[in-house]
Amino acid sequence: MECPRQKAELILSYAAGTLEPSAQIEFERHLASCESCRQLLMRQQTVWEALDVWHGAPVSSGFSDKLYERIAEHERASWWRRTVEYRWSRLLRPVMPVAAASAAILIAFLVKAPLQSPNFGGPAEPAVSMEQVERALDDMDMLKPLSTSMPPAGMPAPAARNQRI
Amino acid sequence: MAAAASLERDAELMLRVRSGDEASFTALLDRHRAPVVHFLYRMLQNQAVAEELAQEVFLRVYRSRGTYEPTAKFTTWLFRIATHLALNWIRDGKNEKLHESLDQELEGVPRQVADQNPTVEQAMLYEARLAEVRRAIEMLPAKQRAAVLMHKYEEMEYSQIASVLGCSESAVKSLLFRAYETLRSRLAHMV
Repeated sequence: MECPRQKAELILSYAAGTLEPSAQIEFERHLASCESCRQLLMRQQTVWEALDVWHGAPVSSGFSDKLYERIAEHERASWWRRTVEYRWSRLLRPVMPVAAASAAILIAFLVKAPLQSPNFGGPAEPAVSMEQVERALDDMDMLKPLSTSMPPAGMPAPAARNQRI
Repeated sequence: MAAAASLERDAELMLRVRSGDEASFTALLDRHRAPVVHFLYRMLQNQAVAEELAQEVFLRVYRSRGTYEPTAKFTTWLFRIATHLALNWIRDGKNEKLHESLDQELEGVPRQVADQNPTVEQAMLYEARLAEVRRAIEMLPAKQRAAVLMHKYEEMEYSQIASVLGCSESAVKSLLFRAYETLRSRLAHMV
C-alpha cells in the first residue's frame, strides 16, 4: 500500500464501512503495524463524525401542494401551446404549397435581377465595341497640347497618328 | 438486497407514471422528496432555494415521463437533474446573493440537535460545530462538494456518482480524494 491515493481510498472506504469483509480484515491487519494509516484513519473518522452533525431540515409542509400547482400550470400552458400550434397549423397547411412556390419565385427574381445594369426608364444603351474604344483614345491623343508634340525648329512635324499609311 | 428491490421499485413506479398513473408519481415524490431537498440544501445552503429547485427537479421528471426508459437507476437520473440545477445556480452567482446566515435560515425551522433535551451549552456547541462543517463544505469547489454530499449523505458508490456527474469513476475518486483531504485539514480540530 505505497500509493497515498490508494491508501486514502482504502481508508475512506473503511471509515464509511463499505469495504468488503475480506478487504476489511486485511486492512485492519495493516493498521496494526502502520502509524501513518492509523493517523489518517483517525482524521477521516473525525471528518465523518463532523459531517454527521449536519442533518437536513424538514421539508416544508406545502412542498407537494406547490409542486402540483406548478405541474397543473405547466399542463395548462402546454395545452394552450398545443392548441395554438394546432390552429395555426390547420390555417397554414392549405396555403403552404402556394407560399413555398411564391417564395421560390421571389428568390429566383432577386437572384437574377442584380446581373442586369439598372435602367431608370431611358433607352437601353448599346454595347461598346473595342474599335470605338481605340478611336476614342486616338481622338484624345489629337487633343494633346501641340507644344508637347512640336518638333524642334527647322524639323518637319511628326505624322499624325491616325493617318493610314 | 433491500436496496436492489427499492431500485427496481423506483423504475417500476416511473414506468407506471409513464403510463399515466399519477399515484405512482406521488409515491416517488414521497420517497425522494427529502433526500433531494437535503442534497440541494447542503449544496446551496439556502432552504428556500433548495425547495424551489427540488420542485423544478420533480417537475422535469414529470414532464419527461412520456419518454422515460429505465436505462439507469432512477436516483441517478434524479440526482443528475438536481446536480445540474445546483451547479447552474452556483455558476450564475445566485448562491452568493441568496446565501443566508445560519440564524436567518433556521428561522421557523426546528433546530436538530442530537439529544432530545439539550442543555444550553450542548446547543451552543452543536451550533458551533455545524457552522464549521457548513463553512468547510461551502468552501469546496462545486463539483467536489456535490461528490462529497452524494458519497457521504446519499451513500452512493463511485460508479453512480460518476454517472450523475457525467465523468469517469477515476475522476470521481480524484474529486473525493481532494475534497476529503481539504476537509481533513479544515475539520481536524473537531475531535
